[in-house]
Amino acid sequence: MAVIKVQGLKKKFKGAEIIKGLDFQLETGRCVALLGPNGAGKTTTLRILSGLLKPTDGTVLFEGREKNRDIRHFIGYLPQYPVFHSWMSGKEFLVYVGMLAHLPKKEAGERAEKLLKKVDIYEAGNRKIASYSGGMRQRLGIAQAMIHQPQLLLLDEPVSALDPIGRREVLTLMEELKEQTTILFSTHILGDAEEICDDLLLLHKGKIVEKGAIEELRNKNQSAKFELKFSSNSLTYFERIKSMDIVQDCLMVKSEIHVQVKDIEKARQQILAASIKNNWPLVKFELSRTSLEDLFMKVVKN
Amino acid sequence: MDELQQLIDILPIIAPVIVIQLILMLVALVSLIRADDTNGPKWLWAILILFFSLIGPILYFIVGRRQS
Amino acid sequence: MQWMTVFSKELLEDWRSYKWIWVPLVFILLCIMDPLSSYYLPQILEAVGGLPDGTVIEMPETLPEEALMMSLAQLSMIGVMIIAAITMGVIAGERKSGVAELVLVKPIPYLTYITAKWAAKLLLIFSSYLLGMLASWYYVNLLFGEISFLKFMGVFFFYFIWLAFVTTLSVFYNTTVKVPGLVISYTLLTLIVMSVLYKIFAHIMPWFPNSISTHLMRFVMENNIPGELWGAAGITAVLSVILLVLSNYVFKTKEMAD
Repeated sequence: MAVIKVQGLKKKFKGAEIIKGLDFQLETGRCVALLGPNGAGKTTTLRILSGLLKPTDGTVLFEGREKNRDIRHFIGYLPQYPVFHSWMSGKEFLVYVGMLAHLPKKEAGERAEKLLKKVDIYEAGNRKIASYSGGMRQRLGIAQAMIHQPQLLLLDEPVSALDPIGRREVLTLMEELKEQTTILFSTHILGDAEEICDDLLLLHKGKIVEKGAIEELRNKNQSAKFELKFSSNSLTYFERIKSMDIVQDCLMVKSEIHVQVKDIEKARQQILAASIKNNWPLVKFELSRTSLEDLFMKVVKN
Repeated sequence: MDELQQLIDILPIIAPVIVIQLILMLVALVSLIRADDTNGPKWLWAILILFFSLIGPILYFIVGRRQS
Repeated sequence: MQWMTVFSKELLEDWRSYKWIWVPLVFILLCIMDPLSSYYLPQILEAVGGLPDGTVIEMPETLPEEALMMSLAQLSMIGVMIIAAITMGVIAGERKSGVAELVLVKPIPYLTYITAKWAAKLLLIFSSYLLGMLASWYYVNLLFGEISFLKFMGVFFFYFIWLAFVTTLSVFYNTTVKVPGLVISYTLLTLIVMSVLYKIFAHIMPWFPNSISTHLMRFVMENNIPGELWGAAGITAVLSVILLVLSNYVFKTKEMAD
């Protein structure tokens, strides 16, 4: 079942169309990455879903929502640069936003304690937020988004601003949260997306250029690449390899030949057979799968 | 003697005013010392608070304290 | 419930930022400054010296009512400026810093958010003003002569409607722009324009909000509440309610991320 259905979503800012008609739906329990280069419209999309911005056109539908119920009940949102009341302690802030989300005071307090433990800033819970580090703020940000147990968690670039340690911590945390709720998070780093997401929405210049389960996309866009190196000048063999019928594309990279092929098995047999037959001085024969990286780069460069 | 008598007469009436001014100044100073950050150098605010009664503390609270 | 949450958070914030200490103290000082200094003016002049020996200072006797109104005169200038200053960021500040992005994605009605903040600031201003006027009343009774409790209450109540209007005006501008500096500029500019308008058209607008202090003068002197005072107070109160409703409307139509 879908948590949310988006149809024909458009957004204009001062005449310029930032979002040019998005259609997608998020399935319950999935962790979805909204991937795209800077300026693709990721933040705008998330802000529309959170209700902070109004779409110029199109609809956002929450499945299973009672009529006229405020959509904000269903959503937890973490902006890219979360700002808190820094005069409050972390726990006070969580209780505050929890009560804003209709939790009774006692329950808000319990939820706050639980979440502080979960995001691992329990010891700092009674300290002023002003004294928190960037990573702690980000984790407090996730905790405040989770306070009312939303069905959909929207995270805007949750790890981009963090150092490697902070990044790792937040990614691990998201891995855990995946079990509890549907997550849509934006990122411009493919590696982060590949690491934890189930589904991918590839956004570019306000349009979705690719979407689907990440495994599917990987298979769909997979082509195999062999890297070949010879002890004598590789150039000698370049033309002969290129002329093979299983070869899609052939490139000289430094002293190596990179061969793109469709069918890995056939290609391996042909190339190896040729090299044995002709006694080529082969020193390197390596298979490397091209991943989403190429897809991402292809999309971004166009 | 006459002037002294006058002063003694006035004192119970003026004293609360002075006390309130002092409290205001003190609170401003405590706030200044405990503040992590102020708009403008702290020593300048300290001078303003100490030497311009009423206006100094008011200005400090409105302009000097950095909002969170 | 949510209303109380925002309201008490606002009170706590004003307490931790010392507003609940300094604003009452400043209001007390403002209110008693003029009655006191005018009472002691002859002594002050004498002490400062500079007058040739034998100069007899003739001062017209200040009536207790006039002394009490001196407090309002101070409040109408510096008091109003302080009100504008402590309310300039009540909503704009949260939007400028970005906290509003976290708060307003929680399911809280905008009207709740606005009125709770408005009420919290109004309570601070009410308390400060009450303490200030009580202090002034005490000194006036002591130095100038008696003013009845009812008369004091009348002055206090009617003038508070004006101060509440100023507060509401500032809250309204808070919803239109997100820079506190602009909010205070707009608020003070509006008040200046209103006072100029009143100066020019006083004779044809006896109900204008700015007329409250004029009517109050008559009220304390003549000892009965003139009809225009009720009128002006009523209009001012209605205007404040309209401003609140308008604030909610502006807030709803605005995009919070901007």
